[in-house]
Amino acid sequence: MPDLIHLTINGQDVEARAGTTVLEAATQAGIYIPTLCHHEALEPEGTCRLCIVEVSGALRHGIRVSCIQEVKEGLVVETETERIQKNRRLILELLLGRSPYCKELLDLAAKCGVMTSRFLTGENDDCVRCGRCVRVCRDKIEVYALCWVNRGNQRKVATDFERLSEYCIGCGSCAQVCPTGAIKIEDRGNERKIYMWGQIIAKFKLEPCKQCGRPFAPKKYLDRIRERAYKPKGLELVDAVCPECIKKKEPLPPTTMDLSKIQFKMW
Amino acid sequence: MDVATVDAILSKFPETKGNLIAILHEVQNQFRYLPEEELRYISKKTGIPITQIYSIANFYNRFTLKPQGKNRVCVCMGTACHVKGAERIMNEMKRILGIEAGESTDDMTFSLEEVRCIGACSLAPAVVINEDTHSKVSPRQVGQLIKKYQQPPSPKA
Repeated sequence: MPDLIHLTINGQDVEARAGTTVLEAATQAGIYIPTLCHHEALEPEGTCRLCIVEVSGALRHGIRVSCIQEVKEGLVVETETERIQKNRRLILELLLGRSPYCKELLDLAAKCGVMTSRFLTGENDDCVRCGRCVRVCRDKIEVYALCWVNRGNQRKVATDFERLSEYCIGCGSCAQVCPTGAIKIEDRGNERKIYMWGQIIAKFKLEPCKQCGRPFAPKKYLDRIRERAYKPKGLELVDAVCPECIKKKEPLPPTTMDLSKIQFKMW
Repeated sequence: MDVATVDAILSKFPETKGNLIAILHEVQNQFRYLPEEELRYISKKTGIPITQIYSIANFYNRFTLKPQGKNRVCVCMGTACHVKGAERIMNEMKRILGIEAGESTDDMTFSLEEVRCIGACSLAPAVVINEDTHSKVSPRQVGQLIKKYQQPPSPKA
């Protein structure tokens, strides 16, 4: 039985497992805390600062970032105090300063009562520097195609030497996790292009599906799947089939799998 | 690419983890900047992803990815130097060298850099050229200062 920690969020008693964050505990209890940089599949980094909460009790009274604050026994959390709302509005204004047309940000701003930003820079940049793309590429896909460059207000996401990446495998996870759609992925014909700030950061030729013949995935990506998902199980991915064909549940060609080799793991 | 030099540097660090910055410092001392090919080679040798190396090379002011001139002129623009008129010294440097801060002269003898406090506030305004710190520099002295470094002191080099 894992240790359960008792805390109070907005006056509501909440139980959470040790090691979870305040944001996770709140979400489980159905309490909404706005956030941009948090993604349940990724390690939290606390970059967007929107999920700030006011804590007291087990911690010294003050403002904490809930996505990187672990739960503590007897912690008292308030998510919508006047002080929090004021600070959150300021953070939103600062984020809007560079991304005044970002739809997701505008939605959040409207929810929090922010109408305009005092910090407009004249830029129109949808990237909010949350780092989800860098984290997914580094920690989950483990290809290290994206990184942070520069610092301060010059900070941005880039490939190595800001050229077409040779490490990118074209999996599209960065575009998938991007909260604002700043990274775009475009499949046209048999070519996939990944865009960031209107610049192509990676380009691939798509391999055709073995069943319907529609180009659907870059070779590097399929190789990666072969290496990481099939090889450890002693299998080989011979015929790559696109998601649509899989959904149709057409029988796979008999050569694709050797069932006797599959070892089911129990957990 | 100068493989031997890089290999010599890498051999000094048997444990690469945690030593990347030290390695980059040595590379920069050798080449006066961080050349792309060498960085890619280091990445291949150490297994540190090139993006990580690129990120670190970009983050620190001390590292530069552009080729630098033989003489590195750093004009301190920290608070004390700023108050003491570092701006004027910078402008004079720019005028004499004919380049902007962060650039190098065409013949690669000088590169000009704007740095923050170098901890020599009592000597303000200070200019650091290569390893030498020049104190209480006035705009008039800038010309002489540059001249001193224009020619190598001995013809041996």
